Amino acid sequence: MPDLPGSIAVNRITSQGNQNQRTGRSLVNPIVRRALLGLFCGSASSVFLCSAVGNVGFGLCLGALLGIGQVFAFFDLESGSAIDRAMTCAAFSLPFWATINLILLPVSAGQVPQWTAADMRALFPALIGWLLFFVSLGTLAQATRRVSVHFFGPESPRPAPSAPAKMTQIVILGGGFAGVTTAAHLEKLFRGDPTVCFTLISETNSWLFTPMLVEVAASGLDPTHIATPLRTSLKRTRVLRSRVTGIDLKLRQVQLNEEGPQTGLHYDHLVLALGSVSNYSGHSVIAENAFEFKTLSDAMHIRNHVIDVFERAEAETDPERRRALLTFVVAGGGFSGVELAGGLNDFARGMTADYLSLSPADLRIILVHSRERILPELSESLADYARQRMQERGVTFKLNERVADAEPGSVTLGSGEKIATETFIWTAGVTASPILQQLPVPHNDRGAVLVDPTLALPDYSQVWALGDGASVPDTNSGKICPPTAQAATRQAVCLAKNIRANLLGHRLREFRFRSLGSLCVVGHQTACAEILGLKFSGLFAWLLWRGVYLSKLPGLERKMRVFTDWTLELFFTRDSVQTIDFEGPGLRQSEPELTLR
Amino acid sequence: MKKAIGCALAVGAAGGALFSLVGLVTPVIGIFLGCGFGMIFCLIAGRRANTPGAGLLWGLAFALLFWLLGPATIGSLFVSRLPGPTTMLDTVRARFPDLVGYLLFFGAPLGICLGTVNRFPTLQRVRADKFDLSRAAVVGGLSGIVGGWAFGQWMAKVNHFPLIAGLVHLSSPNAGVALHFVFAFIIGASFGLFFQRDVRGYGSSLAWGLGYGIFWWFLGPMTVMPLWQGRRLDWSYQHAQELYGSLVGHIVYGLIVGLVYAAVDRLWTTLFIESDPINREPEAPGSRSLQSIGWGALAGLTGGLVFLPIIAAATGLTNIAGLVGSTSPAIGLLVHLLSSGLIGISYGLLFERESPDFAAGIAWGLLYGLVWWFAGRLTLFPILQGLSFTWTHEAAADALPLLVGHLIYGAVTALVFLAFERRHRDWLLLDPRFAARLARLRRPAGTPAPALWFFASGLGVLLQIILT
Repeated sequence: MPDLPGSIAVNRITSQGNQNQRTGRSLVNPIVRRALLGLFCGSASSVFLCSAVGNVGFGLCLGALLGIGQVFAFFDLESGSAIDRAMTCAAFSLPFWATINLILLPVSAGQVPQWTAADMRALFPALIGWLLFFVSLGTLAQATRRVSVHFFGPESPRPAPSAPAKMTQIVILGGGFAGVTTAAHLEKLFRGDPTVCFTLISETNSWLFTPMLVEVAASGLDPTHIATPLRTSLKRTRVLRSRVTGIDLKLRQVQLNEEGPQTGLHYDHLVLALGSVSNYSGHSVIAENAFEFKTLSDAMHIRNHVIDVFERAEAETDPERRRALLTFVVAGGGFSGVELAGGLNDFARGMTADYLSLSPADLRIILVHSRERILPELSESLADYARQRMQERGVTFKLNERVADAEPGSVTLGSGEKIATETFIWTAGVTASPILQQLPVPHNDRGAVLVDPTLALPDYSQVWALGDGASVPDTNSGKICPPTAQAATRQAVCLAKNIRANLLGHRLREFRFRSLGSLCVVGHQTACAEILGLKFSGLFAWLLWRGVYLSKLPGLERKMRVFTDWTLELFFTRDSVQTIDFEGPGLRQSEPELTLR
Repeated sequence: MKKAIGCALAVGAAGGALFSLVGLVTPVIGIFLGCGFGMIFCLIAGRRANTPGAGLLWGLAFALLFWLLGPATIGSLFVSRLPGPTTMLDTVRARFPDLVGYLLFFGAPLGICLGTVNRFPTLQRVRADKFDLSRAAVVGGLSGIVGGWAFGQWMAKVNHFPLIAGLVHLSSPNAGVALHFVFAFIIGASFGLFFQRDVRGYGSSLAWGLGYGIFWWFLGPMTVMPLWQGRRLDWSYQHAQELYGSLVGHIVYGLIVGLVYAAVDRLWTTLFIESDPINREPEAPGSRSLQSIGWGALAGLTGGLVFLPIIAAATGLTNIAGLVGSTSPAIGLLVHLLSSGLIGISYGLLFERESPDFAAGIAWGLLYGLVWWFAGRLTLFPILQGLSFTWTHEAAADALPLLVGHLIYGAVTALVFLAFERRHRDWLLLDPRFAARLARLRRPAGTPAPALWFFASGLGVLLQIILT
């Protein structure tokens, strides 16, 4: 194991005392020892420096200082020989001569710097003085180090960074925005501190960039381009791909369902970032017949299903049956539902060009929403704009309506209207992860755990929660933060700082949230944006959407891949190749095979 | 060891004999001096000369140190009891032929011979280094041709090609051009053969090229060419002054050879070795480069701010603004900071993972500052102003104040860059796999890097003071 320089030197030095006691090596503090050696060597060598700078006192002080500096400039004093050190030090004579003799000494004497060719030639003897000083310093430093090793033992035994007696285990549950951002910030905050270790549990081995999920469902982006491997995003966090099956807050243990029997994972600090799942409000029939739209496999499923129904429609001779195949129903008029309806509309209408017997008029993309207007997160004018543009592009809206029932081949609305369809996608509402709902702590009506403004659970100061699965009060407004990626990311930063503050015994920060705004794509090169109270729509908002989310996408490599996909899309049609076998609207039962691992 | 001492004594004595033939010392003193030099070199730095390339650099650095501490310093004491500045410089100039002799007859042959002798016991290690003869010669030769093209621009300008053609009793410039490229190829190939094991990245290769270029100036135009033409050797500083343009040309040639060699070599490594998933590293080259660009820009800006008072006092910011056709000091400040940032970025890309500690960082930074004085101030700056570059000692004397600034800029940039690099590296070191990889990539003790730092930066600056 190589020597560890730098910021973890303090840890090394602390552990070195123990090491020395065990091995009988010198107990002299290495920093003091180095400084004393440097002081001696610098002072002894300054005999050459005194003539170079023309002042004995100044030369002695400068020599001593440079001597100390020199021993700290070389981190690993044990490697290299006297000739290595002498040659390296000799190279330093030039900049020091130039800085001190040519610039600082004349300027301090009220003269102009002596850096012309004639001046330099005049000061040439001083350069020789500096050279002699540094050669002597380098040689002497190495010689005295050996003498000191002989009498006091090795200075740096270079042990492997020994594991501390007690490691603080920070366990993060969830590999979404909240979990990964927390882990990344914890890594930054604790840097080289070996007394803390992080473990992140996620059901997939990648971090999904959900704002671009619609583009996967609409065949605009390659699925792997919006998912970043967790192990490349996080440098010192142990990543476990596993499903959490239970949390014991008393014993401080997380139960994991790995491929064998259940295993328990102890924690000192636990971060709950498990996110949310679709909320069917108890309609199990709807859940059985609807596509979900939460994960990458959901998006790939939808894409392949859309291509599949096109293939079947092309061969279908019954007009009613064909109409059902080409009808797509999206339940929910929030961001997800609107973006998905807009994306599917573009994808499906574009695909009709490749199917000779199908025309755009055969297609129906229906968005069902329970309220009077879509996009409640945006202002009314932008929501109206979005609805109008989507209607112009062929999307049908069923407002003030709810999906009351669903069965294979049809969806029934609250008004009694029955829509024949083979594609029904549910985006109407979410609830906290079931594992969070089982915890013996207070929850809100969505099942999210209640936390205090520092993001800690009220009765468990070392259990923290954030993101969609937590009800986080905003200290600024007194309201509950919205369950968005933006809020989760900011909560993660605050939470990481609070964990560190907790470990160090410092005061915790309260979370304050001020939304920067919202962006929503509603169709081809059309979007709505509300940034810091300013409203944008159309092409500019769409460019803004792409610019903002491309910058937020983690990793340069992913950015380049997505940018390439977007550029290619300008010149070529979207891909309509079915990439997985699809066996009818079996929906949820085939999901495990599709989960990216 | 006995074999090495015997070799050192023999080569030293032969070098001393040759030294006496130049007329600088009597044969007895020459042989005595050579044997003494060989013995001291063998005892102090002999083990460092474990390959011919490493030996060459240690020999050259040792010869320079020997000359500086011997004739240049002690020699002046014999001239006068109270050596004043003028006396010492006069002595140094008068002893300039000794420097050439020390480098060519003592340092270089001793280093190469000891490196060859010491190479055999370490043949196992050499094999482990995977030295590739054909790659070294071909890549080195190709980079020599590219460097030769750049050097050829100056040679064409001063009508030097007929002189080169005269070496084979021709007078046609085209023959001179052809011969020039033959020499460029040979020197480039020898660069690869000597230094393939030692160069690790673009930055170190650039610095190796700088040192090798200086060495070839002493060997080529100062020594071999007059001998080939049947002329008497003239190693006086006045003659060296006349060849100042050739010195800059050799340095620029060396820099290009070093850079191109590293680029092609790295390309080879990237395409055929690092692209192999077995050799994959946790951080992809693209991510590393992006980090280096950011850190380099910040480091360069810091260096530029330190350099600012010097450049403002030495030439004025309006001079810099002239690069973009302006006379405003504010524009000059912007151009200066922009160019500082860009050079900082190039430092980051060229020298990433080269410095294990601050001492090494400062040394690489000094060399990079020196490189930009030659490549930037003496060459690119006039070209960007729409003028022709003049590699004369008068032009170099005018630009000498900025040499100080360039050295300081390089050192500060390197220090700040290393601080960023270490900050990032330290917490990654908790991963033992990363620590092991870093240890493998780090330049180990015993490479000729310290010799190169002293030789290239020492002579790079000293020659400017002595010759301008």
